Amino acid sequence: MSASSDHEVVVEEAAVLAADLHARPAGQVTRAATGVDARVWLSVDGRDEVNARSVLAVMGLGAVAGQTVLVRGEGPRAAEAVAAVASILRTAEAVPG
Amino acid sequence: MTEASTSSEIPTVGIVLISHSRAIAEGAADVAAQVSAGAVRIVGVGGTEDGRLGTSLDALVGAVEKVSAGAGVLILPDLGSAVLTAKAFLADQEDGTDVMLADAPFVEGAVAAAVTASGGATLAEVVAAAEGARDVRKL
Repeated sequence: MSASSDHEVVVEEAAVLAADLHARPAGQVTRAATGVDARVWLSVDGRDEVNARSVLAVMGLGAVAGQTVLVRGEGPRAAEAVAAVASILRTAEAVPG
Repeated sequence: MTEASTSSEIPTVGIVLISHSRAIAEGAADVAAQVSAGAVRIVGVGGTEDGRLGTSLDALVGAVEKVSAGAGVLILPDLGSAVLTAKAFLADQEDGTDVMLADAPFVEGAVAAAVTASGGATLAEVVAAAEGARDVRKL
């Protein structure tokens, strides 16, 4: 946990995957978590969290359609970043790759 | 060559993949561009002008120019003379150049770098993303 400050925000949101978390949706997740002033982690089934900024780690979750992904964010823009990532997970299209 | 321009007003880091094989370099660039939703400046270079296996410093120079947009360029080589050609390129650069070499798995590093670059990250962050690919298990 980072040091608290006036702007430190911690947000958690659960999202049910609309499609398997393959390369393309994983890429969308990482893009949404990059370049925003927040740190975002994902976890599935209580397993270790992964950094959403690592597309390979996000793919490595091996999460499939119907599973619930817990999205956790910390930082000044955590609410925005977590909402964006959760939205991608809920609306991912079921396409190969 | 495979490339996709970014729609962002802010210039993003460019990426050059270099291999002995044009098919490997262009294929990896295709995958990385697709995972990045096309919002990344990336090209793959490899092979000789007549289609044989090999690497070319001139081709690398052209590729770096092609993807450069002011935010720096990452070069990711696969093996052998691709590494030597990339090092030769850097040796010719003046001090303070914004071109960096990444020591990373080729496909995984390309995907990680491209997605990170497309998110608006700095050159140092893109290099770190590529090199971090070494530590991510796929199984």
